[in-house]
Formats: sequence, structure tokens, C-alpha cells
Amino acid sequence: MLPSTLKVVLTIGVIAYFVMLFMFLKKKELELKYTLLWMAAGAVLGIMVIWPYTLTWFIHLLGITDNMNGLFILCIAFLMMILMSITSIVSKQAQKIKNLTQTISKMEKRIRELEEEP
Amino acid sequence: MNKVLLIIPAYNEAENIERVVDNIIENFPQYDYIVVNDGSSDETRNVCRKRGYQYLNLSINLGIGGAVQTGYKYAQDKGYEIAVQIDGDGQHDIAYLEKMLPYLESGEADVVIGSRFIEKEGFQSSATRRTGIKILSFMIWLCTGCKVKDVTSGFRAVNKRFIDIYSVNYPMDYPEPEAIVSAVMHGGVVKECPVVMRDREKGTSSINFMKSIYYMIKVTLAIIVCRISFGVRRDPSFYKKKPH
Repeated sequence: MLPSTLKVVLTIGVIAYFVMLFMFLKKKELELKYTLLWMAAGAVLGIMVIWPYTLTWFIHLLGITDNMNGLFILCIAFLMMILMSITSIVSKQAQKIKNLTQTISKMEKRIRELEEEP
Repeated sequence: MNKVLLIIPAYNEAENIERVVDNIIENFPQYDYIVVNDGSSDETRNVCRKRGYQYLNLSINLGIGGAVQTGYKYAQDKGYEIAVQIDGDGQHDIAYLEKMLPYLESGEADVVIGSRFIEKEGFQSSATRRTGIKILSFMIWLCTGCKVKDVTSGFRAVNKRFIDIYSVNYPMDYPEPEAIVSAVMHGGVVKECPVVMRDREKGTSSINFMKSIYYMIKVTLAIIVCRISFGVRRDPSFYKKKPH
């Protein structure tokens, strides 16, 4: 069972988290497809704050005896997933930038050739 | 138009590029060439422009892999039969193409690598580097069963089939060993041809001592990942024999 002070703090935290996410989305500073994992993390966090027994149940299922430790492990797991997805996004973008640069260089050469022709 | 294209990736090679390209224009007019200026911060681009060379200009630095791939894409666009990559620092003697190209023309090989370790003449690199190259060579043999001695040589000739393959997929940084694995896994025949290389005359090599450890780890992993990502390799005859 979570202490009631912590429960209040966490509830406020989760609400602030979602408000921030939607603010970013509203201003189009985040693309929706990249925030899906963030939303999933927030949803799990929310469920655990509202029904702490799900957390206790899940953590005991994993063989962790202390609730707080379980919470930290879950948080870290989500962060790692999000970081991995970010690395994958960066790698894909690097590929795209490479292809763009190569195409531009070929076009630039073509333009030079056209300019030289009388 | 000639059917052979020389791809010359150049990153900050303003001091060397003139000598390399002038040598091609004067002595080897039977080959076309393209300089790929890989976002150099020095005068490389201006030298190319002033001298009226054939060049492609990458607006950002992509690294050797991205630069060479640009050359392959250009070769594919223009319909060249054979593409040869040579270093922009003048280490490679183009006269050896006379020995390398017949392998491709006869269909004996798909990728020919100019190797300095077969007849062990000319510039041989330091002992440390040779050890590193031997380890990588062993790794490639272990992963593909293909014996290549000079795995880091940037002096290579490929046929039309591999121009197409490499223009779609070419490793990004430190690409040479990985490109061999990729060639073998695509069912290509890789052959080595003895050449003599010179030490670079001006400028410094792109790999210093501190980078070499990173280089070994990165390239070893790249070889393994490249091998795994192709899955089970079957003998090419497997595909020809149809069960039905």
C-alpha cells in the first residue's frame, strides 16, 4: 500500500505529466507518433496511483518484495524503452539525411552542367 | 562515355586531389572519374571547381561510407559497367586496374580488392595495424568463409550488379570490412589482386591511435551484425535446384 502523502504527490505528478504532454502536442512541438510510448508510460503510472494493488500484485509477480523498488524498476524500464525508441528514430533520420545529401549533390552537379551549356 | 568510373572520395584532400585527378586525366583517359567532396572544410571544393574537375559536392560530411555510396549512386544513374573506388590521397596506383579489371570482365569475380599483403611489396602499414587487419580478416573468414587478406583496402573494383547493390546499401563509417561481408552474403565472388601501395604524401590518415580501439570494436561488431542480419546462407546452387 502506498502512503497517502505519496499518493497525492504522485497523482499531481501524473496530471502534470499529461498536461505537459498535451501542451507540447497542441503547440505541435512533439509529433503524436513519437509520444505514444510516453502516453503508455503515463497510463501505467496513472493506473498504479489510482489502484496501488495492481502495482503490489504485479511487483510480487516479478518476485520483488519492496513496493518502492518495484516502482523504480518499472520507471527505469519505461525510460530505457523510450530511449531505445529515440535512438532508433535518430538512426532512421541519419539515413534519411544521408540520402537527401546524396540526392542534392547529384542534382547540384546536374545544375552546374546545365548552366555551363550555352 | 567510358564504361569504367573511378570514384574518388575526398575529405580535406586539397593538397592531394590535384595530383590524383591530373594523373587520371593525363595518363588514364580511358577511365571516367568522379570526385566526391565529402563536406570538406578546406579548399577541396574550390580546387575542383577551378580546375574544372567532375565532382559531386556533399553539403555535409557523411563519412567515407556515405561519400563512396554517392559515387556508386552516380555510377548507377549514368549506367557504368564497372565502378572503382580509390582513395583521394594518392595511395593507390591506377595502373594496377589493368590487372584488376579482367577479373570483372571475365565474370570471374564480382568484387576485386587491390591487396598490398599478397606480394608484400610497397607500403605495408605499421605492425599494430597489420595485426588489427589480421584479426578482422580472421573474423570475416569465420563469418563468411571468404579469405581476404587486405580487408581495409579502399582500392576496389565492382561490377554492375554490385554497383546496384552498393548504391542501395553501403555501410556508413569504416565501411571496408563490412562491405566485404555484405558482398559475400549477396552471393558475390570476392577476389584479391596484388597491388603496391604508396604511403600518403601529404596530410594524415583519418585513423589515429585513439580511434583505432573504437575502430576495432565497431568493425568487429559490424561484421557480426552484418553476418547475422542475412540469416542462413545457402549455397547459390540451392536456389537454382527447384524441388518441383
